[in-house]
Amino acid sequence: MNVTWLLAWRNLWRHSRRTWLTVAAMVFCNILLVFLISLQLGSYTMMIDNTLGTFSGHIQVQHEGYLDQQKMRQTVPAVTELAQTLRGQDGIAAAAARGIAFALAASEERSFGIQIVGVEPAHEPGVSTFPGLVKQGRFLSPDAGANSDEIVIGSVLAENLKVGLGDELTFLGSGRDGSFAAAVATVVGIIDTGFDEIDRSIAEVPLAWFQQVFAMGDHGHSVVIRVIDFDAVPQQVSRLEEDLAGSAELVVLDWDALQPGLRQAIASDMTSAWFMYGVLIILVAFSVLNTQLMSVLERTREFGVMLALGMGPGKLARLVGLETLMMSTIGLAIGVLLGGLLVWYLSLAGFYFPGMEEMGKRFNLPERMYPEFSLLAIMWGPVTVFLFALLAALYPALRLFGLQPVAAMRAA
Amino acid sequence: MKLLLALSLAMFAVAGAADEPLAARDIIQRAMDHFRGQTSYSEMTMVINRPEWQRSMTMRAWTEGDKQTLVRVTEPRKDAGNGTLSLDGNMWTYTPKINRVIKVPSSMMNQNWMGSDFSNKDISKNTDIIDQYDHTLLEQRQQDGHTVYVIESIPHEEAAVVWGKEILVIRDDWIMLEQQFWDQDGELVKRLAASKIQEMSGRSVATVIRMSKANEADEWTELQTAEVEFDLDLPGNLFTLSSLRNPRQ
Amino acid sequence: MGGAAATVMVLAWRNLWRNYRRTLIMLAAITVGVWAMIFMAAMMRGMTDQIVENTLNTLPGEVQLHHLDYRRDPSVVNRMPAPSGPLRAALEAPPAVAWAARVRVPAVLASERDSRGVVLLGIDPSAEAALGSLPHEIIAGRFLDSVDDRGVVLGASLARRLETELGKRVVLMSQDPDNDVADRGARVVGIYKARLQGAEDVFVYSGLTATQAMLGIGTDVSEIAVTAHDYRLMGAWYQAIADVAGPGVEVLPWPQLDYFLDSMLRVQDGFSLVFMVVIFLALSFGLVNTLVMAVFERVREIGLMQALGMRPGLILAQVLVESVYLLSLGLLLGNVVAWLSIKPLESGIDISAVAQGVEMMAMGTTLYPALALQDMAMATVVVLGLGLVASLLPAWRAANLDPIQALSRN
Repeated sequence: MNVTWLLAWRNLWRHSRRTWLTVAAMVFCNILLVFLISLQLGSYTMMIDNTLGTFSGHIQVQHEGYLDQQKMRQTVPAVTELAQTLRGQDGIAAAAARGIAFALAASEERSFGIQIVGVEPAHEPGVSTFPGLVKQGRFLSPDAGANSDEIVIGSVLAENLKVGLGDELTFLGSGRDGSFAAAVATVVGIIDTGFDEIDRSIAEVPLAWFQQVFAMGDHGHSVVIRVIDFDAVPQQVSRLEEDLAGSAELVVLDWDALQPGLRQAIASDMTSAWFMYGVLIILVAFSVLNTQLMSVLERTREFGVMLALGMGPGKLARLVGLETLMMSTIGLAIGVLLGGLLVWYLSLAGFYFPGMEEMGKRFNLPERMYPEFSLLAIMWGPVTVFLFALLAALYPALRLFGLQPVAAMRAA
Repeated sequence: MKLLLALSLAMFAVAGAADEPLAARDIIQRAMDHFRGQTSYSEMTMVINRPEWQRSMTMRAWTEGDKQTLVRVTEPRKDAGNGTLSLDGNMWTYTPKINRVIKVPSSMMNQNWMGSDFSNKDISKNTDIIDQYDHTLLEQRQQDGHTVYVIESIPHEEAAVVWGKEILVIRDDWIMLEQQFWDQDGELVKRLAASKIQEMSGRSVATVIRMSKANEADEWTELQTAEVEFDLDLPGNLFTLSSLRNPRQ
Repeated sequence: MGGAAATVMVLAWRNLWRNYRRTLIMLAAITVGVWAMIFMAAMMRGMTDQIVENTLNTLPGEVQLHHLDYRRDPSVVNRMPAPSGPLRAALEAPPAVAWAARVRVPAVLASERDSRGVVLLGIDPSAEAALGSLPHEIIAGRFLDSVDDRGVVLGASLARRLETELGKRVVLMSQDPDNDVADRGARVVGIYKARLQGAEDVFVYSGLTATQAMLGIGTDVSEIAVTAHDYRLMGAWYQAIADVAGPGVEVLPWPQLDYFLDSMLRVQDGFSLVFMVVIFLALSFGLVNTLVMAVFERVREIGLMQALGMRPGLILAQVLVESVYLLSLGLLLGNVVAWLSIKPLESGIDISAVAQGVEMMAMGTTLYPALALQDMAMATVVVLGLGLVASLLPAWRAANLDPIQALSRN
């Protein structure tokens, strides 16, 4: 057995250029796959994170039934305290309490339906990108309390109501108990998310003031949570459910419940990528096939001699197989190493291609993508290449079984 | 004026045809007229009951004809001064907190009126039933010494009405004892029931009216009339936006 | 020189087939590579086309006309008259294929149990059918049968939420231009399923005439959509419409209506090319390998030719021509195989097994590869161009062999 290994190794380096070229093909392919797969996985996380980061967060605690029915009286009691408690827990990056109401904002001739969100000004930026999208004026001040009648509205809403910074905005809605909830607020900031549907109807006010105007007491409608590690969402959800088991009416919703369809949209994107990876892997397999076949063909005489000397065709086949194994291992190792380094570097520094910056600025998306640096991302591609390369060596190896020693020795 | 004429004609018609059974539609018309009079002023308390709490408001209401209604809340203090004005199917609300009159857009017409189980549409269009439906007298029976008419009203094909049908139970003194709202599958959805019928200002009046959902025992709204006056003189500018804005009354 | 050229070409051809197994394997590799390039390009093009088409069908149209303030405040107040005269002529002029005028306003739909805010669409069903904007699938009843249809068609999800069904009456409520309530009852004549569930909850269809009557707006409309069924072309013809639309109307092509889609498309356009280059690079290792082997085996022969007076330039040319033959054959075969494999698939590849959530990306569960000549041309250019570059090194080395050393090589 030892001899076979040694022979295989030496065979490889007898034609070092050919071996290196094939290894190079494998390494190139591996690096490419490692890079693309990490980028793809990283971009999914980014896409999900981006979508969730705009407003809905990774997890929310709500009253049961609120998600579907949105009734004013489906509230979360002591909402600010709950947010405070959750904020301090392990793995939670940010938690913010909210109250939501639908109201009529009136201009001279018309009233417009708007969604008023009572937020905690100091904590809301941690769970939503809206505070960062204030294009005129400023967001609500962090110490805005029950007496502060500040309001931040969407740009299209501001246009429709014909109000600007410093103007007053009156609105009318229903409180938690159904009573009139009406108030006047001063516009301190105007938000531009880039999406008309949002900019037409969004308005944010300090939660304390919201609770007062809408007769909420200390209640709210949800606690929005952003976790540090996206992959830990399911664990966080179970832990929260345990912690809140005492409050029968509260439910913990993960982002899949909050944004149905998002998970699957991502999954479907992977399907198209598979085609591409498959093609790359097949090409590399061809390369290996090419190399090994050539190698076998050129050594026909040599093999003929070995067969004549008594080496079984099985052993010969194993020889060829071993050569491929060694070559592929080298390709795997170097590919994983270089690919891994590249991905590690990019996972810290970020990667972008032209056009991304534009989109990023416009929609408040990050301007760089961060490939995912994980074992799965790095090994998946190269391991598949490795396996296919081994497969590719089958044909040349099998040819050896039909080799006639005498005819082989006569071959040119 | 027109209404007075119509009423008089109706009364002559009734007098002249005392032995003929009344058409269902007329019964309803009479009940409506009886309820609203030509003009009316009332003071009432509205009690809203829910599983977790109960709330009550005292208010004053003025009506003229079928289409004009003004309501002003007087108690509790935090709601005092709020008002709603209905004119011909449109509704405006006013609240002193923002000192502004806002027209209720169509999108809110199905919302609860002041948090009760009546919708804005119920308050502003409650006499729609006469013209938008076809009425059939189902039965006539005796109850507590009165003749009681049971009428089935089915909306016209394109009436802007969601109900499959309504059943009205009207007494011979024109008190609407009950108004039932049925869906298009034949299930009762909600019910308006009158009780504590008393004499006030020369008419029999149902002093307690309760609107409740058929399948929720704990959710209902009651209007308890403390005082009512009919056919009084009302100022000409009462049913206007500026009057709504002025909480003096 | 002519004679030399002919000799080189013949020699190159014969050299190629001297080791036919190696040549065949390399040929196979190139063919697979070319096939992959074209196939992938076709897949991506098909996907992109589909996404754009679906999005445009929902918009709808490639060009839309509105009252100036409509997009900011999509209410009945911001409406425009029905198109006539020069505008109408412009809408019907080729390359426009279809156009439809509709009323689109916010409204409330109420049933016995609940009411919800919706977007009411008063449409002309036959015009919309030509536009491609009708709902994906009718699962109960029928769609509107004419512009005068007084029934409504709701989404399945909305019908569920409102607890209403086919055949029942619902009430539509909206505002008229004087800000008064405008409402009517209507029967549910059909229930549809949309690709995006969100759409089902929001869009309610009724006949254009009935809607205009309810809102009291005569023959005015909110929106006119036009299509030429080719989303890349609208730049040329929408200006003609804009010129006759009149001062109160804005005419916009879809990149301005859906900025996000446009951005996404631009990002994707570069991918085909990048992908092709990447595939070629993967191939190039094998190609270089093959050429180097070919040269290496014939070192003595090349040395002999040089000794006999063949200039290095010609030797270089010979190796390059061999490469060109190889590449061209591979290209030819690859193109043919690609054509043969894609054409039958153009009627759709069913990926519903893995594609539950494609709706959100506005794609169906069937992939339609779209073969385009320009993809085949691009593949050819990439392969020939880069292939020649890759062949230069071995060719150069062959040309610079020292004759004496070459001859003495065993």
